[in-house]
Amino acid sequence: MEYIVQTENLSKRFGKEQAVAGMDLKIRKGEIYGFLGPNGAGKTTTIRMLLGLMRPSSGTIKIFQKDITKERINILAKVGSLVENPSYYPHLTAYENLEAIRKILGVPKSRIDEVLEIVRLKDAANKKVKGFSLGMKQRLGIAAALLHNPELLILDEPTNGLDPSGIIEMRNLIKRLPSEYGMTIIISSHLLSEIDQMATTVGIVTKGKIIFQDSIEAMRTYAQPKVSFKVSNSERAWRSLVANGIKAEYKEGQILMDECSDEKVAKIVQILVQDGVSIYRVEEEKRSLEDIFLQMTTGEQAI
Amino acid sequence: MIGKLLTADFLKIKRKGLWFLTALGPIGVVALQMVNYGVRKDYLLQQSEDDWSYYLLNVHSFTPLALVLGIAILTSFIASIENETNAWKQLIALPVSKLTVYLSKFTVLATLLLLSSTLLMVFTCAYGMFLDLGESVPYMELAKYSYYPYLAALPILALQLWIASVSHNQGIPITVGIFGVIFAYSAYVLPDWMIWKWPSLMNEWDEPIINVLFGLAVGIILYIIGMIDFARRDVK
Repeated sequence: MEYIVQTENLSKRFGKEQAVAGMDLKIRKGEIYGFLGPNGAGKTTTIRMLLGLMRPSSGTIKIFQKDITKERINILAKVGSLVENPSYYPHLTAYENLEAIRKILGVPKSRIDEVLEIVRLKDAANKKVKGFSLGMKQRLGIAAALLHNPELLILDEPTNGLDPSGIIEMRNLIKRLPSEYGMTIIISSHLLSEIDQMATTVGIVTKGKIIFQDSIEAMRTYAQPKVSFKVSNSERAWRSLVANGIKAEYKEGQILMDECSDEKVAKIVQILVQDGVSIYRVEEEKRSLEDIFLQMTTGEQAI
Repeated sequence: MIGKLLTADFLKIKRKGLWFLTALGPIGVVALQMVNYGVRKDYLLQQSEDDWSYYLLNVHSFTPLALVLGIAILTSFIASIENETNAWKQLIALPVSKLTVYLSKFTVLATLLLLSSTLLMVFTCAYGMFLDLGESVPYMELAKYSYYPYLAALPILALQLWIASVSHNQGIPITVGIFGVIFAYSAYVLPDWMIWKWPSLMNEWDEPIINVLFGLAVGIILYIIGMIDFARRDVK
């Protein structure tokens, strides 16, 4: 399998602080790779190293199978990026901002109108960026990243600070890019829901390390529901279930069951009723991806 | 590569008032002489046999100050364009080499200052003719007093650009710039090795060309050090 981005044992140290510690990323063509982790986990540092803005302390980065330290310029010619807060020149108009970048990239002028169209900023093209809302600045940043029709698009927290409608708009835009333009996208976020709605693959990072890297479906399988029983004499009820050969968990006056089929629930209810236990509630507790994410990143419990 | 960056950099300085400042410097320097000669022209003409040379000396007494001040302001403006929204990260994530990015910034500044020096020559010449200082205009001297200080000030330009492009706090280059202006103002008492003395064209041998040659040599060295340091640093 060919990887668009592949890092091996990538590390970065700032003085005493180890920001990235042995990161192994593997990103395939056409993926929307969700790079997920709490603030300060090393996402931005990793992205900066991918773009050649920072030099790794150790490890290698290969993008399009080329080494970034050796062929930085050739690689970056096919990479578009938006790192953290959007950068722009406030005293210039949106058009001039893109023109300044276009001149360096050497793409035809018509691309400016095309990308302004993609991010729906055409009406504001001749206004100074100073007066733009954050959402518009963010979209201008994406427009700049799209100018040279990159094969790889790296977006660091692109929905940070946007209002709900801005987030939805950004999300739709990002989802559209791989299918319409054949791009591979890396998108970082600290919000799981964000990644959940966009990404096809997730990499979860905490304390500078990847702790999970697989498809989003694989991650969802961890989110199996539990069934909880609230009954009158729960401890006795639990004992009788165990005596009947049913593995259940007893926790804070509740009986918890992992992976319950309908028949199993029916059987448990039958046993408890025959045992003379009053059943108050039978509830299904969905474990959200958020829970899994928190569990993974706090590191108290390995999955 | 450098050509593309240069056109982009010249686009970025639009509406920032840099062109205005470029013209303001030489206008200010000559305007001071307009006041000087306007008030006491007869007295000044009595001071020397060679009215043109004396006039050029008078103009030149303010050139180093304007130059050093101009360098500090222009470099910090240029750096602030990228610093304001940390556009360095966007710029350097483009397929460009960091060395070329730095060279382009330096070239923009050197071009603006060259233009400034040329304007100084034109304005000085024009006002000198207006004063009717004599038939034979000393064009060589005029060119010397306009371009020598510029070339002698290159180390200051290289130093200021280096500081401005690697500091996140623009207070640092401004402070260095202010000290530079104070140094340039007290050029008389400074030792010859201080780069801020060089634009005054004074040295113990009384040979202005020495300042120019040192300016070029040290300017290139400081430029290279600054460029390498800029390229070596991580972009935040």
